[in-house]
Amino acid sequence: MPDERTGEGPGSGNISPSDRSNFERRVKDLDKRLDSARAQQTDKDSDDGSAAVRTRGMAYGLRMASELVGAVLVGGMIGYFLDQWLGTTPWLFLVLFFLGFAAGIVNVLRSFSRLQEEIKVATKGNLGRSMPDDDEDD
Amino acid sequence: MPDPIHQFEIKRLWHIDLFGYDASFTNSSLFMVIAVAVIVGFLLYAMSGASLVPSRIQSLAETAYEFIANMVRESMGEQGMKFFPLVFTIFMFIFTVNMLGMIPGVFTVTSHVAVTATLAVLVFAVVLLVGFAKNGLHFLKLFVPSGVPIYVLPVVSTIEVISFLSRPVSHSVRLFANMLAGHITLKVFAGFIVMLLGSGTYAFLAPLPLAGAVALTALEFLVAFLQAYVFTMLTCMYLNDALHPGH
Repeated sequence: MPDERTGEGPGSGNISPSDRSNFERRVKDLDKRLDSARAQQTDKDSDDGSAAVRTRGMAYGLRMASELVGAVLVGGMIGYFLDQWLGTTPWLFLVLFFLGFAAGIVNVLRSFSRLQEEIKVATKGNLGRSMPDDDEDD
Repeated sequence: MPDPIHQFEIKRLWHIDLFGYDASFTNSSLFMVIAVAVIVGFLLYAMSGASLVPSRIQSLAETAYEFIANMVRESMGEQGMKFFPLVFTIFMFIFTVNMLGMIPGVFTVTSHVAVTATLAVLVFAVVLLVGFAKNGLHFLKLFVPSGVPIYVLPVVSTIEVISFLSRPVSHSVRLFANMLAGHITLKVFAGFIVMLLGSGTYAFLAPLPLAGAVALTALEFLVAFLQAYVFTMLTCMYLNDALHPGH
């Protein structure tokens, strides 16, 4: 800040050239320090962002696993009970077990594409960059 | 070592025999009642002095409302707000029960698959009822993706049906497994502290599991919220299928 009390700021026009260059040097120095401080700040921000992304990733990972396992279980169980009922052991179990596996893959792919859409919306198409922190809601 | 499973034991507090079925009031029921009392008490107290410029507790209640309202609107659109009471109740119940479970000595209701499965089946039943009531047989289009050749349709439809039926399974198992695993891990780490302290020579290592237990507690609070959030979000997604079948 120019010293207002003595009226010798850069705007007053009556400072010596050496003072002026000195002042400009100090402004540049301040700019540099501000830049590095800002860079550090964004580094920290993106660190926080990746923590949020990591927890979200964990939630999605657990979700995916249960989608896959759930479908295989349900497929196998339907097959097993149909076999018991129709006396076709083990054929329907085998067929539905594998169809259940396919259904699990379908589930995982669906929730993954939904996740991608969500991230695209959250990052405004800026995929792979830091996500805005929406923790204010919790 | 203390038994890490012991905390999930169901104890009968009040024996009730309902037509030969054991419908006793258990510690699980007790904490469900406490959770409902906490929710109702919190919302009534927060909104008792409702004013245009909200007090802190009022804005907390409003944040909860808006959080769920936004989720419902985003996934189902404005007409989905019909389901808002259901979705809000599910979220508040699971969230409160999960958070109460984080208090030492409190029974975690959602760590039992019977509870989470009941919630998931409730959602599943609502999807089926509303789906058929609103769309009639049109609802079955959910299992017939458009643009599939007729000769692979049986296989694709079977896969779709299995995928649909697997929803309540993964929906309930996810919540219960997360809560169960988290609470067991916490207990095991806490057990390590006691074991190390009692071991004499290695007592100086005891702060390590203590640090782990502290970190895990923070993580468990996060999981308690996240799982309530995920359960609610999936509820919205499934209800959306009932409103708009055929992707």
